[in-house]
Amino acid sequence: MFLFHQGCSLPGVDDVETLTALASGFAVALTPQNLLWSLAGVTLGTAIGVLPGIGPALTVALLLPVTYSLDPTAAFIMFAGIYYGGMYGGSTTSILLNTPGESASVMSAVEGNLMARAGRGGAALATAAIGSFVAGTLGTAALTVCAPVVVEVALRFGPAEYFALAVLAFVAVSAMVHVHYGESRLNGFASLLFGLLLGVIGIDPLTGVPRLTFGIPQLLDGIDVVVVAVGLFAVGEVLYRASRYHLDPEIVMLRGSLWMTREEWARSWKAWLRGAAIGFPLGALPAGGAEIPTFLSYAVERRLARDPGEFGRGAIEGVAGPEAANNAAAAGTLVPLLALGLPTTATAAIMLAAFQQYGLQPGPLLFQHEPRLVWGLIASLYVGNVMLLVLNLPLVGLWVRLLTIPRPVLYGAILILASAGAYSVNRSAFDVGLLYAIGGVGYLMRCRSIPLAPAIIGVILGPMAEQQLRRALAIAEGSPMVLVTRPISSALLAAALLLLAGPRIVGWWRRR
Amino acid sequence: MTEGRYVEGAARVQRFLASVAVAVLVSSIGVPGVAAAQRNLPAAEQPALPGLTIIAPAAPGGGWDQLAREMQREIERQALTAMVQVENVPGAAGTIGLAQLINGRRGDGGALLVNGLVMLGAILWNQSPVSITQVTPIARLTGEYEIVAVPAASSHRDMQSLVRALRTNPAAVSWGGGSAGGTDHILAGLIVAAAGVDPRRTNYIAFSGGGEAVTALIGGQVTAGISGYSEFAQHIESGRLRAIGISAPRRLADRDVPSLIEQGLDVELENWRAVVAPPGLNDAQKQALTAVVERMAHSESWRATLTRLGWTDSYLAGPAFDQFLDAERVRVGRIVARLRGSSGDANAARAGEWLFPVLVLGASAFVLTVLFVRPSAATRDRRATSAPVVRVALGLVSFAALLNPAGFVAAGTVLFACTASAFGSRRWLRDALLGITLCATVYITFTYGLGVPLPPGLFLTGR
Repeated sequence: MFLFHQGCSLPGVDDVETLTALASGFAVALTPQNLLWSLAGVTLGTAIGVLPGIGPALTVALLLPVTYSLDPTAAFIMFAGIYYGGMYGGSTTSILLNTPGESASVMSAVEGNLMARAGRGGAALATAAIGSFVAGTLGTAALTVCAPVVVEVALRFGPAEYFALAVLAFVAVSAMVHVHYGESRLNGFASLLFGLLLGVIGIDPLTGVPRLTFGIPQLLDGIDVVVVAVGLFAVGEVLYRASRYHLDPEIVMLRGSLWMTREEWARSWKAWLRGAAIGFPLGALPAGGAEIPTFLSYAVERRLARDPGEFGRGAIEGVAGPEAANNAAAAGTLVPLLALGLPTTATAAIMLAAFQQYGLQPGPLLFQHEPRLVWGLIASLYVGNVMLLVLNLPLVGLWVRLLTIPRPVLYGAILILASAGAYSVNRSAFDVGLLYAIGGVGYLMRCRSIPLAPAIIGVILGPMAEQQLRRALAIAEGSPMVLVTRPISSALLAAALLLLAGPRIVGWWRRR
Repeated sequence: MTEGRYVEGAARVQRFLASVAVAVLVSSIGVPGVAAAQRNLPAAEQPALPGLTIIAPAAPGGGWDQLAREMQREIERQALTAMVQVENVPGAAGTIGLAQLINGRRGDGGALLVNGLVMLGAILWNQSPVSITQVTPIARLTGEYEIVAVPAASSHRDMQSLVRALRTNPAAVSWGGGSAGGTDHILAGLIVAAAGVDPRRTNYIAFSGGGEAVTALIGGQVTAGISGYSEFAQHIESGRLRAIGISAPRRLADRDVPSLIEQGLDVELENWRAVVAPPGLNDAQKQALTAVVERMAHSESWRATLTRLGWTDSYLAGPAFDQFLDAERVRVGRIVARLRGSSGDANAARAGEWLFPVLVLGASAFVLTVLFVRPSAATRDRRATSAPVVRVALGLVSFAALLNPAGFVAAGTVLFACTASAFGSRRWLRDALLGITLCATVYITFTYGLGVPLPPGLFLTGR
């Protein structure tokens, strides 16, 4: 950008600068203390990825108040470790329990569990872990290259563009989830609107007027995002599991060698690379999230397989591809998060809330103001991937034992921690009541197959979208045309419209 | 951006929750701030106060936040109190923080609120139900002149060129700055008026924190930005912003920015910053706070800090400060009244606070109607049972009801037992024992390890 050419070094203006910045990032990530935080993150992440019912979004939300005590770099290194670790750990549960421990591992459950039943669980776990490592590392490399480029584009963004970007993200996360749940797209929008409504509650920051607080003083400060995330993901989930616990599938114990045969290697590596190639771009677009790439990867592997009939009987490509795709997508989602401040998954949304608690606004200027944090975080992802490979291959037996924790104890403990957590945000029993009420809504949403992620994104991104809209209108002297006359903004809104209307247009085209 | 309550500092640091594993990890690695603060305490100097909370009623990154953090650093360095924390309560030009001080901290002798000219304007602008006359004044600390800056790529080289643009079309010149009714807004209005244009036509874009306004200015989203020098300094020095005017009576010796007056605009404004305490303090409490602030402000290192940040030392305390505050309240009242005009123009600035909620509510009503009218595509899962859900719900209701009267451990044990039974466990005694053990561990970790007291209830007397 022309503004930045004089006298200021923007990391990533060219490749050499990116490499220098990355090298300084490694200097941050490799300090003993940060290595320790990374290890804590990936270990915790793997554990919660393995445990059914809790995922990285919930864990980061519960840990949010920890960030006050830590240097932000250390906190984000830990959070990123949890995010990546959750992706690794989720596959173990999918393969051995046929219940995805994490939503991006749904597809791995299909072929992986069949492999485990056929006594090839070890190979399935191995291809998942190595594939995650390969794709995670490739994805991180792509993030290293892409983020500075996106940053340069993002510098041209004003309030109108940020509002349009938020609208695109809203439409994408709400409209795309139906691919996952096979339900009406309205379900996604219902979830989004619930989140947006929760986000409106409280004092309007621009005018000081209380909105939707119904005279309840505890609502003046707004509803803490921790309460919303923990309510939906922990309380709602436990209620949901309680209604279905008697249907819990049995664990397939691990048999056979962890080593893959030569044939399995040969079949896996291409699937890893294809999975990474599908996962990263879809994750990086402010549209994808981490689930859709796994479905796509599964479909691609099935189509390319020499013997498609093997799919449905335990095909290793069906594990290797989606597992690689979900890790590459996780790296991809960090591009819009860091460069634009735009979360596209529930975990990324919670991480955005964490940034805001530090007074940091992810976006183009973050790369200038906090290069230590940004590049330290990116470098720690490379390190974390190596740690995760070690944690998940030789030590997989340890994680499997987590699956044998009796359900009554596991869910009892989750509720105790969730309640203590919500209480300590404001030391208020009111928040505990709010937590349970939101948990009740979360349970009803789960029962009606309404996805939870759009609600989290709505509650965090909604207030930002609103303020940017009001600023854009003020700058344009009140004319809403500003949203369509500025080229980037209108292109983003057009993309949102296309996502919204696209399936219908395609359907109409096909019928002709 | 989510306007939550941003809180930082040692005490709130410990008000966190976590899984027990991480809690132990954190407490073993330690919370450096607290440890350092306690170590630095010289035995000879007893602190005047056990602890101090400095409320910065803005998001991190702005001038008030900066002042609060510099105070924190200085008070900690001199060990004037055992522990200092900064709490950010952003929004509505600080009046949200002010309301919290007045309503929530009455009689609290360990709290200070950073405020200033901006807040006086905002109280009038927002017709806030709280008033600066309700607090206990402590001291004025700093003064700072305002800078008008444009992005490096802007065609405006000086104020004259900006004034010409204003006269052509006032609405086309957008001003970025802090909250509506604040110093930045007041200065924009004064410049517009001095240019011979009706101040009510000022196209002012309010940002809630200084950092956000700077970002928008650098990105060229607004024509000009107004802020204190310290918030622009870094970017002026790196060449991304160009300072074209300062609101001082004359050009300052140490910085080469022409004053507004020498460019033909009869405008002068100083943005002072001060600290006030909650209402309802007795004289001893007021004196203790004043003593801490005075000792902080009368030190060499504090003056060095002020110089570094380009702030003028304008320390003023006691009855003189009380009078100053009163005089400023009257003066700002006049300026704001002129900015708003007599009509309901303030409402124009407020328009839009219900636009978004109404859109969301309307869309929700539509989606809910369609969802309920149209039968769900998924057939109801017949295998689901509701009895366990009722058991968990019973546990949750009991926990919420028992938490304060009976305490965390008792309430948690009931919740644990109910949940375990919902998941098919029939060993009540074992579950109760497991529950007690777990809850006691969480209680001890939170209350003693992390400094987050959970309700102790009947059986445990908290500390």
